[in-house]
Amino acid sequence: MVLALGGLAVLALWGLDAVRIQPNRIVSGTGHGLIEALGTGPALLVMLPLALVMALAWRPTRGREALMLMLVTAMLAAMPWALSLFIGQFIDDPGGAARAAVSGASWLVGFALILMLIDLRQRLQPGALVTLVLIAVSLGSLGVAFGRGALDSLALVQEYEVRRAAFAEAIVNHLILVGVAVGASLVLALGLALWMRRVAGVRQGVLGVLSFIQTIPSLALFGLLLAPLAWLASRFPLLSDLGIQGIGWAPALLALVGYSLLPMTRNTFIALDGVDPDVIEAARGMGLAPLQVFFQVRLPLALPLLIEGIRITTVQAIGLAAVAALIGAGGLGTFIFQGLGQAAMNLVMLGALPIVLMAMLVDALLKALADAARRGDADDRTG
Amino acid sequence: MRGLRRYAPPLIWLLVLVLTAVYLSRLEPLFAWLEPDRQTVVYPRQSFVALLLQHAAIVAVAAALAIALGVGAAIGVTRRAGEEFLPLVSQLASIGQTFPPVAVLALSVPALGYGAEAVVVALVLYGLLPIVRNTLAGLQAVDRGVLESARGIGLSPWQTLLWVELPIAAPAIMGGIRTSVTINIATAAIGSTIGANTLGNPIISGIVNGNMAFTLQGAVLIGLMAVTVDSAFSRIA
Repeated sequence: MVLALGGLAVLALWGLDAVRIQPNRIVSGTGHGLIEALGTGPALLVMLPLALVMALAWRPTRGREALMLMLVTAMLAAMPWALSLFIGQFIDDPGGAARAAVSGASWLVGFALILMLIDLRQRLQPGALVTLVLIAVSLGSLGVAFGRGALDSLALVQEYEVRRAAFAEAIVNHLILVGVAVGASLVLALGLALWMRRVAGVRQGVLGVLSFIQTIPSLALFGLLLAPLAWLASRFPLLSDLGIQGIGWAPALLALVGYSLLPMTRNTFIALDGVDPDVIEAARGMGLAPLQVFFQVRLPLALPLLIEGIRITTVQAIGLAAVAALIGAGGLGTFIFQGLGQAAMNLVMLGALPIVLMAMLVDALLKALADAARRGDADDRTG
Repeated sequence: MRGLRRYAPPLIWLLVLVLTAVYLSRLEPLFAWLEPDRQTVVYPRQSFVALLLQHAAIVAVAAALAIALGVGAAIGVTRRAGEEFLPLVSQLASIGQTFPPVAVLALSVPALGYGAEAVVVALVLYGLLPIVRNTLAGLQAVDRGVLESARGIGLSPWQTLLWVELPIAAPAIMGGIRTSVTINIATAAIGSTIGANTLGNPIISGIVNGNMAFTLQGAVLIGLMAVTVDSAFSRIA
């Protein structure tokens, strides 16, 4: 596995451009590969650690795998600095108009290294602390390189420097949009789930309506909400004073809540319904009032599955909120669509990369939280 | 007769979709009432039928590729020869699912440029994930005893795969394909921002020009298309 990925990385370094130097923002510029820029000898030297990892992967033992893990992490940590040095060969004044776009070989090598890391971690099963250190070392190195200005010639960084304030605002906007949508849908879903448990007949109907909403493509739903909201705003000036209009956050939030309701309600219902009836019976037998049973027994036991629902919903909402930028709701999607409109690819990435990171981060955090809740259950039962 | 009744809902939706696409422009008075100050109230650049066909073609091509690659990959890593790659592929499929489709679409442009090809590649990449994950789950859920008895009655590995494993895993695989296609219909609509001609065009054009009529036309058609496809899947799967 590692062997195949290492081969891919070497081939990429051999055949593809590592960076593209652009004289200014829009011109796509010329690509530069490792061998062409450094000569064959030094280029082979750069590939040496990769070759070493591949040699170790030939006959893996546990010790060698641990060594590989360290080597791969070191390479990941070294990448931003290597990139910075490499770009320095072409760009003398980091403040000028010329900039470097990270290109095929660099992306592929970074990708291959991350995959190796995932694969090795899977094999070695190190503790959470080791994993944390691995992530901290590779991300920390990137952070330091960025902080010391080593990456200032990168086009991505330059796009960021121009719009620091707008970027911060977009992230906050995105988070608010997602947070409010997920929060509102959680409250609604709890209500719907309780209703579905009380009245057996509504279950099919509610889930049917919600899954119907879910099938409507996001762009279409945003579009369908524009007209009625614009009409409402023109009829009732009070609403438009509140900021509820056809374009903007109102239709975005409505649509986001609509999409969030299906996964949230389904998981909440399954979570609440799946609690062992014997446990509930026992709690009642101990003389707990119905509300106490709900808050002290049913809800805590349902918590892991409930968090699972929040995780799925939040990850989905982060992506959908990006589409909402098309109807003027703000957020990181704004950069994506601005960049697409201006053919400024690095601006597109300035929007897309944080969205991906945000989704992965939320996913990992809520997964850990669900695990913790599950373990909490087990502790309670044994202790 | 029973077959007809079973497939009636998707067929009716299909009929509604086609009729709407063909006759939507006849509803001009209605759209004129919606946007009284506009001269053009029906999206003029391409006919709705053409947009619908192009949208459907992009989704169909992407789905065919994603099914071939996804089912193939899942079969490959569950054979003895591909075992080595199983943990990585299943991890990739679950990590990849956290990538928002829009981000995948946007990131395909720097790599591939503008146009329908970039949209198809993005749709294939993203559409792969649910198919791989569900096919893996389906194949891994096949009972060991069933595999043993298949070998016992003298089936070759190929025959076991075709006649035993895939039929048992079929519902799970279909579920994955359904998720994949549903997401791809939505993402293809956004593909009109990167230069593909889809039903997203009237929506985007309507938003940019502040013409609700265009937006409504595109939105109704995409909605109908999604409902038709979903209804068809709910009959097959």
